Amino acid sequence: MNCEAAREALGAYVLGALEPDERAAVAAHVADCPECAAELARLEGLPDLLRHADGLVIPPAPPAVEERLLDRVARERGRHRRHRPALLRVPRGRMLAVACAIGGLLVGAGATALALGTGGDAPTETAQYQLRLSGDTGATARAELEPGRGGTQVHLWVKGLKPGAESVYEVRCERGGWSASAGTFRADARGRAYVVLTTAARVGEYERIRVVRHDGPEQESPVLSGEIQ
Amino acid sequence: MTASHRSAAADAVLVDRLATDETGEAMRELYRLYGGELFGFALNALGDRGAGEEIVQEVFLRAWRHAGTYDPQKAAVRTWLYQITRHAIIDARRRASVRPALPRHESDVETEGGPTLEQSMLGWQVAAALERLTPEHRQMIRMAQFRGLSMREIAEHTGLPVGTVKSRTWYALRSLRLVLEEMGVVPG
Repeated sequence: MNCEAAREALGAYVLGALEPDERAAVAAHVADCPECAAELARLEGLPDLLRHADGLVIPPAPPAVEERLLDRVARERGRHRRHRPALLRVPRGRMLAVACAIGGLLVGAGATALALGTGGDAPTETAQYQLRLSGDTGATARAELEPGRGGTQVHLWVKGLKPGAESVYEVRCERGGWSASAGTFRADARGRAYVVLTTAARVGEYERIRVVRHDGPEQESPVLSGEIQ
Repeated sequence: MTASHRSAAADAVLVDRLATDETGEAMRELYRLYGGELFGFALNALGDRGAGEEIVQEVFLRAWRHAGTYDPQKAAVRTWLYQITRHAIIDARRRASVRPALPRHESDVETEGGPTLEQSMLGWQVAAALERLTPEHRQMIRMAQFRGLSMREIAEHTGLPVGTVKSRTWYALRSLRLVLEEMGVVPG
């Protein structure tokens, strides 16, 4: 057996997957060839490591934990911010007024943008537009809209959907008869979902967020809707 | 995106951003990179989904609070997060043991002659390394190592020539070795 043949068989050799005659030939070659012996030394510890991974399948990171984690960090940051020296703080009422003014500019006369902290904490420095969505199916959702240069990033927390991944839901930003899709998602096994979607529509160009379920080609049914107040 | 296409340096930058990032994006990215495997590790160790979720949340909060003390010279981010998870699991087991009203975890493996936490931690990192291989390479390792098939049997099963199966298995193990070195699981 030459070096090329021996090396190509080394993977199977360390995994014990060669026929007995070929196994003996590889062993004989390695005993006389320092280069191939060095290559064998790099690989021969792997089966022991692999044994620890037998049967392990990496699950998806739970979306609910991500939501709780980000909320918690935002709350703790808010607490920390409240302890800053007075000169660096902006009074809550003033921040809200500024946010509303920005919202007024962006959304127009019929809509108000809210800049809210979580659970009574200080408002975040980035404007956050929040709304609740509801519908006839029993599902509920909360959405946060982050205005960006290219449109809006939509963070959506939904619960009460039909559990399982069969159904595809679409998030739309709408005004009158005009609609822009922010993308699609599926629910988890508990009928929940947390998704971050992006739409080219800018805050101010739409007045409601709607979630529809796609039941088939050209078939959809309304699930949730929320107006930007 | 999984943690598969990132360098240790990019991870270290991400942890550095954790401390100052006001948007939550650094935390979100770190969680999406490592939340799955750490949740698998915790779930496997505690045998309860809710407890596993609590552990993972606690791990990332601890990482956020202590991001300033992270030293990339001492450990890769993955290793650091696994160590935090290991401590959190030990704490959770300790809490459960002093509160007998709580149910014992069915897969409290260390008390039943199963793998130790260290072995389990190693297993999850190797599982993560396998995820970084190409599907073809992963298939060869799974069939030979986990299903115990010979090269000839794999060739019959896949319809590939035996020579191809053999060389693909060699390349698969070489790739795995490199990935484990990058992850800091085995010395480079």
